[in-house]
Amino acid sequence: MNADVEFTLVHDGRQWVCRNDAITVNGESLAELDEELGRALRESGEYPPGSRLTVFMGFDFDTIPTWLRQYHDHYFNRLVSINL
Amino acid sequence: MTAVNRKWYDGMLTTEDWWAVWLGLIMFFAGMLTIWGIDLVGWMAKTKTWEWSLFWSDPSWGKLLSAAHGKAGKAYEGLGGLGALLATYVVFTALTCLGAYFQKLDVKRFFLGFTCIFFITWGAWVIGHEAHFKALKTGQSITQSQVWGDNLYCMTKVHKCTKLINKAIDKQGVREVIDAGLKADATEAEIAAAREAANKVLQDKKVKKKTIRMSWGLQLGGGFSYMLALFIGLVIGNFFKGFAGFLSEAAKPEWFIKTAIVYLGIKLGLMSMKATGFAMELALAGAAATFVAYLMFWPIVYTLGRRAFNLRRDASAVLASGISICGVSAAIATAGAIRARPILPIAVSMLIVVFAMIELVGLPAFYATVAPDQPIVNGAAMGMTVKTDGADAAAGAILDEMMVANHYRATGELWESDWILSAAILTKIWIDVFIGVWAFVLALIWVYKVERKPGDSRVGASEIWFRFPKFVIGYFIAWLFYVAIAVWFPDAIKAASSGAKVVQSPMRKMMFMLTFVAIGVITDFSKLKGMGRLAILYAIALFVIIAPIAYLVAYVFHHGMMPPLVGGG
Repeated sequence: MNADVEFTLVHDGRQWVCRNDAITVNGESLAELDEELGRALRESGEYPPGSRLTVFMGFDFDTIPTWLRQYHDHYFNRLVSINL
Repeated sequence: MTAVNRKWYDGMLTTEDWWAVWLGLIMFFAGMLTIWGIDLVGWMAKTKTWEWSLFWSDPSWGKLLSAAHGKAGKAYEGLGGLGALLATYVVFTALTCLGAYFQKLDVKRFFLGFTCIFFITWGAWVIGHEAHFKALKTGQSITQSQVWGDNLYCMTKVHKCTKLINKAIDKQGVREVIDAGLKADATEAEIAAAREAANKVLQDKKVKKKTIRMSWGLQLGGGFSYMLALFIGLVIGNFFKGFAGFLSEAAKPEWFIKTAIVYLGIKLGLMSMKATGFAMELALAGAAATFVAYLMFWPIVYTLGRRAFNLRRDASAVLASGISICGVSAAIATAGAIRARPILPIAVSMLIVVFAMIELVGLPAFYATVAPDQPIVNGAAMGMTVKTDGADAAAGAILDEMMVANHYRATGELWESDWILSAAILTKIWIDVFIGVWAFVLALIWVYKVERKPGDSRVGASEIWFRFPKFVIGYFIAWLFYVAIAVWFPDAIKAASSGAKVVQSPMRKMMFMLTFVAIGVITDFSKLKGMGRLAILYAIALFVIIAPIAYLVAYVFHHGMMPPLVGGG
């Protein structure tokens, strides 16, 4: 499935952080992150209100120790549907 | 951004797992060409058993090393020991550097590090082959010492030595004299005559070349090389941390061992040609044992984490998977499946690597001492207990060498080598194979039950494929290919074995040796500091729950299984 918008996902030790060139949002849980992201996407004004966006969040493995990066296939990316 | 898991072939050129398949299959196909009389692997160096006083009296590389060619590769004889070593270095450095390039490693650092690790490895391997450490006594020295003396050692494989001596006895026509000296009621004159005959047999040109009298010998077989390589690696990793850091780019034990496991598929194929029934029984028992152990380990450790250690759900699940299933990849797969914070799999992975090293150092000697008459049970239990492929295969290799040598010393009966190692690897491989399915199931439970938000997330069955350990594909291709030859083209067995022997023996053992050095280099015991409850839970779960249950399950499914005897005796 193609995503409407793509983000990089990291965890800073306290919160999940999701960002691309235009938007950066944080959340202590992924549910909170999704809510924040929905709000930020609505406020950006780039997408019509009431639309449903498919968002891809690719985990940034550069934030993981190098010796674990070979296992990146095992960790996760997210594909989330967000109603604006 | 690292965008992953979008196409089924993602990672084929960029992951260590796939590169183990490529390195494995390149040599597998190269070795296979001996079927058509082409030897593309005979340049591989192999170690020889040597004795230091004989070496120093006339030093030469040929006493330490030789090219491993079969009949089709006579031309490689000209390489000599040093030439074969350099050819091995060039080929494996080129192939691993190619892999490093595609895996986006720092190729220059990898090249320098690999060069150091390669020559440290071969240094340890050659030293480990000194006769006082490695050589086993001849069968005659163990069972007929009143005639042959108890200090006659083999400079080659024991069964070859025994064969050569028997041949020389028949050639010299002294069997009756020797047998007379072996009788329980033999007279002193008969014994003296038998000893004289035996001494003449030992003067036979071929026998003289392959046997040696020594005042002492540890009789450790190939196990000493492994232990020495591990020791050197650990010393570097824990006392020369700057050097360890320099080597770290090339210290890839999981890559090396997965490649070795593909080569081991060839070995298992060759062994299956001779003992198909036993190999199949071993594989099925391993699968059943793994399945049973799987169902017990995870819930027990998860519950212990939640109830006794008050860990959060995600921490308990990640730790339970790491310790119950297949170590680092299971911890990360579970973290991925349940969307756990990355710090959890990182912390658990550190514990797994350090504890695997503790197991590697302690378990082979423990099993070999406590249960010397249960070789296959010990191997299977090892596979279910040691949680990284590298440490498991390494521990299995040490256990194999140790138990075969111990049993031979105690009884004069020689088990075929590598069956115990195969038991250890087979159970571990089944565990690895199941990780994709388990991660998929966990993902379903988490998405649809624990953190239920219908419509927001989806779990695709493709997750099973992305988490499938790809090196297993190479292992089964190699194994089943040789089984197919045995079944459908029995006339080609001899030709096929020639190249296969080079790949499954010196090449595989070199990858094992590289693993031993590399695993030592990356193991820093000081990492355990500050791990608190997780480390305590890990230790308790490993030694109080996993190890005993694994042994019990291995016993239920494997007891009574014994490795075939060399020569079918």
